Amino acid sequence: MSNYADKYSLPELMAATVAREIQDGELAFIGVGMPLMAATVAKFTNAPNFNMMVEYGAVGPSPRRLPMCVNCAVNNERAYYVGTQREVMSAQQAGFVDVACISGAQIDKFGNLNSSVIGDDYFHPKVRLAGSGGANDLASSAGRTIIMMRQDGRNFVEKLDYLTSPGYLAGPGARKKAGLPGSGPVAVVTTMGVYRFDIESREMYLEKIHPGVDLEKVKAAVKWDLAVSPNLTETEPPTEEQVMIMRTLDPLAVYLGNGRDTLSGDFETFMKMFEDSYQPMLDLIKSKGLV
Amino acid sequence: MRFEPVVAHKGRAKPPSNKIMTAKEAVSSFIKEETYLGMSVSAAPAALIWEIVRQRDRIKTLDMVITSQIGMSSVLIGSGLVRKLEMAYNWGGIEGEDKVFRRAVEKGIPRPLELEEYSNFGAAARWQATSMGISFLPVKSMLGSDIPKYNPKIKIIDDPYTNEPVALVPASYPDVAIMHCSRADEIGNVQCIGLYGNTDVLARAAKHVIVSVEEIVTQAEIRRFPNLTTIPYYYVDAIVHAPFGAHWRESHYYYHHDLAYGLDAYRQFATQEGYEAWLDKYVLSTEDWDAYCKLVGYDRLNRLMLSEHKYQKFGEVR
Repeated sequence: MSNYADKYSLPELMAATVAREIQDGELAFIGVGMPLMAATVAKFTNAPNFNMMVEYGAVGPSPRRLPMCVNCAVNNERAYYVGTQREVMSAQQAGFVDVACISGAQIDKFGNLNSSVIGDDYFHPKVRLAGSGGANDLASSAGRTIIMMRQDGRNFVEKLDYLTSPGYLAGPGARKKAGLPGSGPVAVVTTMGVYRFDIESREMYLEKIHPGVDLEKVKAAVKWDLAVSPNLTETEPPTEEQVMIMRTLDPLAVYLGNGRDTLSGDFETFMKMFEDSYQPMLDLIKSKGLV
Repeated sequence: MRFEPVVAHKGRAKPPSNKIMTAKEAVSSFIKEETYLGMSVSAAPAALIWEIVRQRDRIKTLDMVITSQIGMSSVLIGSGLVRKLEMAYNWGGIEGEDKVFRRAVEKGIPRPLELEEYSNFGAAARWQATSMGISFLPVKSMLGSDIPKYNPKIKIIDDPYTNEPVALVPASYPDVAIMHCSRADEIGNVQCIGLYGNTDVLARAAKHVIVSVEEIVTQAEIRRFPNLTTIPYYYVDAIVHAPFGAHWRESHYYYHHDLAYGLDAYRQFATQEGYEAWLDKYVLSTEDWDAYCKLVGYDRLNRLMLSEHKYQKFGEVR
């Protein structure tokens, strides 16, 4: 059934992998950027009846252009609801959200994430990062979370410099003891492979490896003794259609590549990006019966 | 009996009087040295921020409270005004890494920046609490994380009804709140078209509220769609007419985020010198918001508006 794409980028592979994690009919809390690419692919392929919530107060948007941030004007586009951030956050805390997609700069074997500081002194960090934003809220309360992140050889650590967003904390039972409503992470999709969490130990293990990636390199990029599934398989590549959808929404590779460098200071190219994607996005929406 | 009547106490309601002012008048009237300033992200009050920086010699120091900010807070942080930031997130978003924020926290340039961190929901709950006239709210976020470890104001207690842990966040009482919204009448009934984040509770939490708007409309127009009124007049002190008042960011249903400008500004913000040069050209050398818009170019701003209207316009499904 699937026509796999011959050529695709790593971000496209990751987004397609996350898209397959979203089930039809679900309500998902989606951050802008790569998670949004995954959500769009899901909506146009495997989960046409799934709806996204966007953090600053939008439910069910169906945009025809590339959103720029979580409070972007694009998130209003053809939405079911727009209003407050507290609406979507409260709904999530009360248990209405099935799945959320989050990220971080560091991760440990229980899927806890750091997006706040790098270095061992919080007050004098080596690198200051953005902070939690909504990541902690999503990690705390969403039904389940999918983690999407770069794996750079140093950031799968034994101990986080700062625990911003909870995974399974110290292991089995720890989330419940801490009072967290959500059930925690189910997958980590990285630039090297796909990881899951063991049902008993709650420890991360390698389930899939991306095409062309060497297992020893993956092990070397993880600072703890990584468990590998006895049924380790290769990650399913994106289909031609999945890649086409992503490139229609993001023709200049703002999220999928280095499009931001192209756009800096270039207003005409930026305006042209909207012009060029308008009709293809309309056609795509019509072809899927999602008007 | 003394036969003296009970003193007639008054509430805190601001009067239904004409509140239209220029940004310069509003900032001069309400923002002082060491003001504790709350700021909305959706939409970002750029016209008011620019005016605050123009008055930085008088204002000198601000303590700021936000939920998240995507870019605009750096204009204030880089100017040397901000001493403390209570926040959930401060970064460039799609514009990328926030070098202004990093310089302030890591190196104390242009001045050290003290942080007090929450999650987004935790930060929003602080204004929600204030808006209800209570001093804290419990949330189910931040539990088990390091956020409370480095912020002793967050208290983890057992919920007295369920005995399960909850995180209490303290109410935040900004001296002044600044925000950008869609439209308002002259007495300060403010309407938001499109999503509006936490601007409603921020306005209810602050002692004084300055709102810049795309359009000033009549009271009759407000009464046509009263459920669009996110902030009734009694919270509001000043209405500033600032068309395109969120540029380079978006204003929902009015114009699109000017990403080409934002990326270029962020490229310049990579060094403090670059930031100062940008500030000098676009903020300090422009007399007011209209002068800034002329420098950016009304042609360009109108094209951002037309682009937005192609996809969505108030009252229509496009």
